[in-house]
Amino acid sequence: MDASLLTENLSYILPEIVISAALIIIVLFDLIFHNDKRIIPYLAVAGLAVAGFFIIDQFSFEGSAFATSSSANNFGMITVDNFGSFFKLFVVCVSILIVFFSFSSEEIQKTFDRLGEYYALIFGMILGMIILVSASDLILIYLALELLSLSSYVLAGFTKLRDRNSEASLKYLIFGGVSSGLMLFGISIIYGMTGTTNLYLINPLLQAPNLNLITVSFAMILIFTGIGYKISSAPFHFWTPDVYEGAPIVITAFLSVASKAAGFALLIRLIKTTFVTFTSPDGYWQLINAFDWQALLIIISIFTMTLGNFTALWQNNLKRMLAYSSIAHAGYLLLGLVVMSDQGLTAILIYFVFYALMNLGAFYIIMLIANKTGSEEIDDYTGLGSAAPFLGVSLAIFLVSLTGLPPTAGFIGKLYIFIALVDAKMIAVAIIALLNTVVSLYYYVRVLKHMYLQKSDSPKDAILPSTGQILFILILLVPTLLFGVYFTPIVTFAKNSISLLGF
Amino acid sequence: MNSIPIEYYLILSAFMFTVGVTGVLIRRNAIVIFMCVELMLNSANLTMVAFSSYLGQSAGQIFVFFVMTVAAAEAAVGLAIIIAIFRNKLTVNIDEINIFKW
Amino acid sequence: MENSQLLTYLLFTPIVGSLIILFIKPDQEKLIRWMGVFISGVAFVISMIIYVAFDSSNPAFQFIHKVLWIESLNVSYHVGIDGISLLLVMLTTFLTPLTLISSWKGITKQVKMFTFSMLFLQAGMLGVFIALDMFLFYVFWEVMLIPMYFIIGVWGGVERIYAAVKFFIYTMFGSLLMLVAIIWLAVYASEPLGYFTTNLLELYQVGPTIPNEIQYYMFMAFFFSFAIKVPLFPLHTWLPDAHVQAPTAGSVILAGVLLKMGTYGLLRFNLPLFPQSSVHFAPFISILAVIGIIYGALVAMVQSDMKKLVAYSSVSHLGFVVLGIFAFTTESLQGAVIQMVNHGLSTGALFLLVGFIYERTHNREISYYGGLAKLVPFFAFALLFTSLSSIGLPGLNGFIGEFLILVGSFQSQVLDSWWFTIFAASGVIFAAVYLLWMYERVVFGKVTNPKLEGLTDLDAREMFVLIPIFILIVWIGIYPSTFLDISDTSVKTILDNVINNTYNFFS
Repeated sequence: MDASLLTENLSYILPEIVISAALIIIVLFDLIFHNDKRIIPYLAVAGLAVAGFFIIDQFSFEGSAFATSSSANNFGMITVDNFGSFFKLFVVCVSILIVFFSFSSEEIQKTFDRLGEYYALIFGMILGMIILVSASDLILIYLALELLSLSSYVLAGFTKLRDRNSEASLKYLIFGGVSSGLMLFGISIIYGMTGTTNLYLINPLLQAPNLNLITVSFAMILIFTGIGYKISSAPFHFWTPDVYEGAPIVITAFLSVASKAAGFALLIRLIKTTFVTFTSPDGYWQLINAFDWQALLIIISIFTMTLGNFTALWQNNLKRMLAYSSIAHAGYLLLGLVVMSDQGLTAILIYFVFYALMNLGAFYIIMLIANKTGSEEIDDYTGLGSAAPFLGVSLAIFLVSLTGLPPTAGFIGKLYIFIALVDAKMIAVAIIALLNTVVSLYYYVRVLKHMYLQKSDSPKDAILPSTGQILFILILLVPTLLFGVYFTPIVTFAKNSISLLGF
Repeated sequence: MNSIPIEYYLILSAFMFTVGVTGVLIRRNAIVIFMCVELMLNSANLTMVAFSSYLGQSAGQIFVFFVMTVAAAEAAVGLAIIIAIFRNKLTVNIDEINIFKW
Repeated sequence: MENSQLLTYLLFTPIVGSLIILFIKPDQEKLIRWMGVFISGVAFVISMIIYVAFDSSNPAFQFIHKVLWIESLNVSYHVGIDGISLLLVMLTTFLTPLTLISSWKGITKQVKMFTFSMLFLQAGMLGVFIALDMFLFYVFWEVMLIPMYFIIGVWGGVERIYAAVKFFIYTMFGSLLMLVAIIWLAVYASEPLGYFTTNLLELYQVGPTIPNEIQYYMFMAFFFSFAIKVPLFPLHTWLPDAHVQAPTAGSVILAGVLLKMGTYGLLRFNLPLFPQSSVHFAPFISILAVIGIIYGALVAMVQSDMKKLVAYSSVSHLGFVVLGIFAFTTESLQGAVIQMVNHGLSTGALFLLVGFIYERTHNREISYYGGLAKLVPFFAFALLFTSLSSIGLPGLNGFIGEFLILVGSFQSQVLDSWWFTIFAASGVIFAAVYLLWMYERVVFGKVTNPKLEGLTDLDAREMFVLIPIFILIVWIGIYPSTFLDISDTSVKTILDNVINNTYNFFS
């Protein structure tokens, strides 16, 4: 590989390089200046901002980097396209919010002396995610997935303040290890059948007439296990409630938004580059017959949202309830993929933007309340509407948005999913999704009920958020409401971001 | 050189994989579960190397190197977490690590 | 008056007003109360201006204001009214200030939030009645749920939380079904039209051309949503809970306006969009309506709680409206429209009266009372007057609506059976029985309960709330043309559209 080619290839991974550099700087800074830990978060934000700048820069071009000599058409390990850039930008933006999120987290502040490790691990996750969303080679996908997973195992049990932290960590690790083992075995089968690990090269090979379809299906189900675990879709969701409840709230929020988005990006890229032959003019994808993704995803998505919503009904811990709600949302998001069309993909991207806003918002407020009361139990929210008016109203709006009621952003997200479904003539599926929404209404409204309708036996101490915290809530709250009535920019952005290289 | 047919390798790795999955499902000791996960990874490695040699390609063998590294990292993280739990609970039996219902 | 922005002013008056109220300190209750009345009064004045400028001979929508809102979905902020919506808009703006005044004594905690919720609710209701874009309609339809949830849940009775959640979930279920149907309709229409739109006026062109087997499903989805709201038997079970548990002002708005949104939806969406299905399902729906009329009346008869009695009488009265809509004659449709207004006035007044007496005694059991005629003569008279109006005594408003519906359903070619009329007419008799029987037990006889001694009669504020309603009750009863003329052309337009698309039924 000559030097000019190397420079060109490196220019494709500038954001990844920046994140890696930031990671190293944070580790070194932590080692050298261990009295100035206060600066580390700002370093993190600066690193993310620079990475974000390069990602925005990448929106203008497409390309493939690090092609191995054996691969034709120059499809390499890393693919730069608008779709990947969208998710990279998404991950970076969420990470910036998470850094500010961590400022207010009492759990993280209690382990202040390990702040360097904390941010190093966060950056490990970020690096894993942004490589994952642009990787187009099974080797790199596996590595990125493991980088993401290993960092998050540690973060889930990072604070070690309570037994439940370590337990969450262990459960996450066991489930993660098993599912990555299954995925790896699936990858090895695919490698054996096609002789390549590049997604783009697998595509034509899967169209070969004498392929053993049962083996392909088996391998794909194994690979889906690994992805399904990341997006916490049923039946690979078992870790989700325990880890979400046990991990520090910051990490829970991060896992529920960014990690899920990376998993979805991987799933979409895998299906689209490996299984789609062409996109018809009205936006529908023609899939290779080797494996019926649509049937699998319909079953999985219906199962996921039904299970998530119904189990959330009897949760008394708010974190755990939101964990099940995030499982249900994974189900809704999968619906956007079920239709196998550009409309559906647009709907997923739109949904993710809104989901990030409302889910982070809800977790943030739960964290502020837990900082004060030390509890996430729903009974402790009784009468909170008057004790903490601003937090109460904000949480109410985030929950209403998660339910998907107008005029909030959550409604628009669901609306686009429904439009995609109806357009694909899957009205029965749309109706099942709708029944699920009604079920979800019950448990979201239950929180409102506790906050506003029920009287608490003992008067509650007022919870007054600081100016910075109010500002942070407003950053999430204002768009949640604003995008509920005016969402054209997000839709335009999403429509421009659905192009994957080669399709 | 290819005196042993590829099927033999594949059958062996499938067997290892099955042992690994079964072990994860039925064993209750966290460390043994880990060993079973390693077994799963290694069965995939074996498949990969076998195919690599069969197809006359290097990609599979490169992959195996990465997987071994990752497995080592995973084992390190896993053992660290198990030690953290053992300090609190004095057990590594996952049935007794049950603040949350499994 | 084309392109007038009056409707936008009307819609935004309560929205802006509610925001202003947010900035008043919560302890200044008096100011907040007056502000609420003032803002809803302004809305009433605007609606009167609209009424004066309204041309009732014009069958098209008027005061249309259309601004492109969301380009990507081709959704517009698109409002406009015809005669039917005008009547309901006026009913809304008329009842809201009165209910706000009526709540001055009943609502003592969190006055600010209450006034805010009421104004927000008013904006939602007005939006529903004036929206000409399905997306906009849906947004208002859902937005209304949240203030109503809080009005029932925060200021309601003992079982308020259960009632509020039940109300929320029932309505939400129906409205989500409608959402799917709206999307389905818009996606379906995008083929003949060539573009995606949620503009109701354009969808009116497409709706009747949809083949029956698809139209039936769309019709049912819309119908289901509206039937829950009406509520039509057997989907009425949320209503007694919500009505009884809501505070007086909530009950009045619920009965007076919210229930009308269901019947309004049937008139505005189901009939013009799916005329074939409407005629196809008319007998089935009419049977449900008649069952509702009789069932509501019979259940009302055995109630021991006054508010519950009034609540079940709503089920019965709304059955009349639905019967009138699905009889497809000019008389029955006109009757249905005027009966919507009537029910808003009569049942609203009944809820007010029950609320007034409840504020004094904190008891709604019929057996608790007796001999009120001697103690509180004005109250007794007001209750008699309202009951008679609700029963349908000639000369008062209820008579006009029920008479038109009965005559219309009798002539109906679609229903083609006398039995509907006969059974419905028995509902009128039952109404007389349960209301007069309640009246007799509450007002006549001796004062048996010593706790009632010292009961005070209606005060000036309460009279002030009731008198405008009574004036309208008499006005509609004696000279209904004022109101019938407003909706006449619009009703005929809807009916003609149904007949033109289903001529084989009417040949």
